[in-house]
Amino acid sequence: MAKYVIKRVILAIVSILIICAITFFAMNAIPGGPFNSEKAQSAAVKAVLEARFHLDQPVWKQFLIYMGNISHGDFGVSLKTGRDIWQTISESFAVSAHIGLIAMVLALVCGVILGSLAALFRNKFPDRLIVFLATLATAVPSFVLASLLLLVFCIKLKLIPVWSSYNPNYILPVISLSLYPMAYITRLTKTSMLDVLGQDYVRTARAKGVPIVGVIFKHALRNALIPVITYVGPMTASILTGSLVVETIFTIGGLGSKFVDSITNRDYTMIMGTTIFLAVLMVVVNLLSDLVYKLVDPRIKFE
Amino acid sequence: MKKLIAALLTGAMTASLLTGCGGSKGASGVQSATSDITKVLRVCLASEPDHLDPALNSTVDGATLAVNSFVGLYTYDKEGKTVPALVTDTQISDDKLTYTFTMKDGLKWSDGSDLTAKDFEYSWKRAADPSTASDYSYLFDVFAKDSDGNINVKASDDGKTLTAVLAAPCAYFEGLLAFPTFMPVKQEAVEAPADHETNPGSWASEAGFVSNGAFTLKEWKHNESMVYVKNPYFYDADNVKLEELDYMLSSDDTAMYAAYGADNLDFIDSAPNDELANLKDKDDFYVADQIGTYYVGFNVNSTLFEGKTPEQANAMRKAIAYLVDRKTIVDNIAQTGQIPANTFIPDSMSDGNGGIFKQNTDSYTYPDEASAGYFPIEVNVDKAVELLKEAGYEFDENNMLSASTPITLNYLTNDGTAHIAIAQQIQQDVAQIGITMNIQQEDWQTFLNDRKNGNFDIAREGWLADYDDPVNMLEICAPNGDDSGNDDMQLGLNSTEYAPDWSEYIDLLAQIKSETDSANRVSLMHKAEDMLMDTGAILPLYYYNDFYLQKGNVSGDYVNVFGMKYFMYVEKSAS
Repeated sequence: MAKYVIKRVILAIVSILIICAITFFAMNAIPGGPFNSEKAQSAAVKAVLEARFHLDQPVWKQFLIYMGNISHGDFGVSLKTGRDIWQTISESFAVSAHIGLIAMVLALVCGVILGSLAALFRNKFPDRLIVFLATLATAVPSFVLASLLLLVFCIKLKLIPVWSSYNPNYILPVISLSLYPMAYITRLTKTSMLDVLGQDYVRTARAKGVPIVGVIFKHALRNALIPVITYVGPMTASILTGSLVVETIFTIGGLGSKFVDSITNRDYTMIMGTTIFLAVLMVVVNLLSDLVYKLVDPRIKFE
Repeated sequence: MKKLIAALLTGAMTASLLTGCGGSKGASGVQSATSDITKVLRVCLASEPDHLDPALNSTVDGATLAVNSFVGLYTYDKEGKTVPALVTDTQISDDKLTYTFTMKDGLKWSDGSDLTAKDFEYSWKRAADPSTASDYSYLFDVFAKDSDGNINVKASDDGKTLTAVLAAPCAYFEGLLAFPTFMPVKQEAVEAPADHETNPGSWASEAGFVSNGAFTLKEWKHNESMVYVKNPYFYDADNVKLEELDYMLSSDDTAMYAAYGADNLDFIDSAPNDELANLKDKDDFYVADQIGTYYVGFNVNSTLFEGKTPEQANAMRKAIAYLVDRKTIVDNIAQTGQIPANTFIPDSMSDGNGGIFKQNTDSYTYPDEASAGYFPIEVNVDKAVELLKEAGYEFDENNMLSASTPITLNYLTNDGTAHIAIAQQIQQDVAQIGITMNIQQEDWQTFLNDRKNGNFDIAREGWLADYDDPVNMLEICAPNGDDSGNDDMQLGLNSTEYAPDWSEYIDLLAQIKSETDSANRVSLMHKAEDMLMDTGAILPLYYYNDFYLQKGNVSGDYVNVFGMKYFMYVEKSAS
């Protein structure tokens, strides 16, 4: 086990380094730069800024300087605003993760329950209803859903302010974020639950007189959840890092918009910061979900 | 069935618990300084500002933030005039080169410490210093400089007076004194962060920094909101009725319009383009004058003009200007009552000699006298055809371009509903005589890059003036690398035989900047615009204006011609 984890961590570090290199050279290759604006900067100002951020050096040298800096934890400052990259990312991640975590737990709990129910009532009304709703939720894009929620609850019913400087309301963003994964988990759970319910050990348990709810929660669910865990890993990373659409519609200062804005602005340090952050998060989450596999299903062997 | 209901209820309970917890946690944030909603103005201008340090700001929305939390020696009043703010007296020498300002007594920073002329000396020198890297450092070029390049400004030892010496008389100097770049910053505050030398704006990158304007920033939730509160040390605090100024930080038209519609905002600076037609007749829709021109620029070195003489190339460009239907663009796309443009220098710009620049006078008449512009606003296909014939193009009897002499234009624009719609309108306009125009749409940075490098035939352009003087427009067409030029039209690069000779224009600009006689200066500026318009490189479409939406219970705010909104004297009644 320890050997496996070490191997995975080393692999992860290598892939992150490769991601860093690709991102760094790719972002320098796209046209434009962080200090371009409608009006040309004076030559003196331009020279000062380029020297300050080493933009006057060849790209490979800039890359080495950057990697040197991050090796001792210095992610630099945003070229656009001068704010510390690490501080900006951690602040906005806190906002995204707060909303994301609630959305994820909601998606997971409701998804598994609904999926199990659908399997249990296979081809009966509850199953049909759940499958119908799940299909609907998968098909409706988050920007439509978020706009719809905004229209109904904020504008028509005026139950929740669209924006408030004091009481940012996270209910609607949480619903917008959780519905798609909830639907997906529902369907995953249903399929694998049906699979498991047909297995011999379930039939044995039923034959021995264990009530159906007991069978599901004690015996079947554990095995049925393995595919769900595969999905939950990447989902965690993507939900926790926020969504551009939901953040824009509900004016949330999360991390999701940073990915896009940093590229639009050619804010090189921010592009690198967000990329590295996401890469690390992805790697960690994937590693964790692989470890959870092992806990859930002892048959899985680490190679 | 019972079990099903129980299970569903459990699910629903978990869900409500979780979301409930999310909501309550958000609500435990800061509480409003005042519960009286008539003392709070809620505004949305744009998304997160890049810099709150007035010296580093280069955006219009940032300038609004600056004028409400800082104040310079001068400010703008409700009538849009520059008036003294922190000075009691201004002495100007006979040669109009030396300004001596006497400061008001008892001026304070928001932390209660004294604000003196020395703070201005420090702030101006800092903003002019290239190592501060202010985009607007070139504005200090009007000052006389010593051999080390330092600007000539000096505070008296007692901090009562400030003396500034200019290189040449400057008609718009008072405007500069009210501009954010010239607002004071407190030296101890600026130099407090350890990285202040390499990161000059760092002192104002979080809430709580020292300022001297009507409001100070109390709380900043990045990309969400900013809460400004009244500064009791503001020089005119007695007349500030508001306790609080809240900004929603969003550039999403739909989001801000939704918040305004739901009564969560009192003032918004933008609205979705699709809504404009419905909004413009409503009572809460306001349009303010703004000095600026939306135009289209030609790359004078484009291969489009290959084989032509400079005069023929000029005629080709001018022909296109006669084809564009500006009225349709203004009525159907821009939609907020803009005025179609037939000059580069905006219609409301001053001439620096006490008058408006765009008018026929005893000493100057525009080529199209009736409209006081370079051509009539109405489309004139015959004139366009005539000009193109001069440039060697052939037409059939229906005034359609002959297949033997085709024209294909590449129009470059950045993303944006209105920009694209304008491009399509022009495409349609030039098609009426058989010109093919392709629209190339790019993201902002790629667009800037391609435009700067001349990778286009014709490109979208626009300029909002920084100060009310024609020089601010004219210097845009100075060559790249010049401190204030941007030269997207590639004028002055002279890399091709068919581009206009631009050296005379550059000399003319230098002459304008050093001319001491105001009337002469006006003539020189007309001459420069004539030269520019004669190249046809600039195809003006309309003069900008500035619309905003404001609730009926809000009054007392005003907007100057640069789009800066002054909120400090707002009075709000209970809706």
